[in-house]
Amino acid sequence: MAPEITSSEQELCSRFLAAIPSRVNADSHLVWRGRTLRADCLVQIGATAFLLRFDGGRIQECRADLPLPCPWDFAVRGSLRAWENLWQDPPAPGWHDLFALSKRGEMSFEGDLQPFMAHLQYVKDVLTLPRTSSM
Amino acid sequence: MARALIEPIIGRYGRVDVLGDPCRIYFEEAGQGIPLVCLHTAGADSRQFRHLMCDEGVTRHYRVIAFDLPWHGKSYPPEGWEKIEYRLTTQRYVETIRAFCGALELDRPVVMGCSIGGRIVLQLAHAHGTEFRALIGLEAADYQQPWYDSSWLHRGDVHGGEVCAALVSGLVAPQSPPEHRHETLWQYMQGGPGVFKGDLYFYRVDADLRGKLGGIDTARCPLYLLTGEYDFSCTPEDTLRTAGAIPGAEVTVMKELGHFPMSENPTRFRSYILPVLDEIRKAGA
Repeated sequence: MAPEITSSEQELCSRFLAAIPSRVNADSHLVWRGRTLRADCLVQIGATAFLLRFDGGRIQECRADLPLPCPWDFAVRGSLRAWENLWQDPPAPGWHDLFALSKRGEMSFEGDLQPFMAHLQYVKDVLTLPRTSSM
Repeated sequence: MARALIEPIIGRYGRVDVLGDPCRIYFEEAGQGIPLVCLHTAGADSRQFRHLMCDEGVTRHYRVIAFDLPWHGKSYPPEGWEKIEYRLTTQRYVETIRAFCGALELDRPVVMGCSIGGRIVLQLAHAHGTEFRALIGLEAADYQQPWYDSSWLHRGDVHGGEVCAALVSGLVAPQSPPEHRHETLWQYMQGGPGVFKGDLYFYRVDADLRGKLGGIDTARCPLYLLTGEYDFSCTPEDTLRTAGAIPGAEVTVMKELGHFPMSENPTRFRSYILPVLDEIRKAGA
């Protein structure tokens, strides 16, 4: 049986979808910075997973309701409070960065981490977009 | 035509022998008075202290001197570097600082170091405290838990400068001005291949100082530890734990600052460091 989605999880997923992919693809400099990234990235927010298809810095697809099994290159999985705190403006100390969250056990990075690490600032900036409202 | 605004910083090179290796070391300085030797973070260089060296509130009473460790900034590695893997050790770091201070004939300087510079300040306090007027550790602790695999910093399929900067970007406080945030990160993008990783050998492997800092006499050489609240690498808790074992060590947790206080937000940092420098100066008057 699928886990029940809480209202806070729904709200976080809505914030994610409001920012990604539209604000990535609309930012020509951000797209340029990610121009050498071609990978499928699983982003998990609590119990909800999304698949981001990065292609040349653009997000070609942001897919929910993933089939099982669903292949991906790398995954960024965070607890609800990880994303909730990361997207506060300003975020609290120790909750303000993907690796701060990883260090405290609220986030994990899995799979083939080469594309993730080779484009780390780009990925960080993409996944932190929901911190601020759209411009 | 407008005249160029010339800053008071003067840069020079000097030869310093470190453990038998002649090293050509680049250093910058500004101001007059009590020598204040500044130690940059791992994988970076002395530019981190440029704001301090242009602050008349500091340079009125202090001769601020910041040098690039060998392998960093404008200091070349020692001859033969191409045949070895760079690894900073506690011994080499201590002797580099002492040799530099000796070469400049500094009389009981104050040493202020950040990150790895903060760690080595603890070792200086422990083993060589009588040589210094006071010691200041920024983002300093006897140990801190690693938070990533340092092998990512030096490999063929990841750009070293970009990944170094991207990793440490999270250590800059969100409130720090973008101009200073990105200037701080630029230094990490410019580091030599494997140099940040080699510095972390000291930080993570060679210099676990837990239980090894006995005998520090803060009455003779005051020790100040200041850590930014957004530093999740050397956390305020790491600094407080370290200070708990050193009688007389003074700790300040700096609000809205991260791992690079002097370069990521110089205005906020000066509000914390000026009282410390005033206290040191008045104690010696």
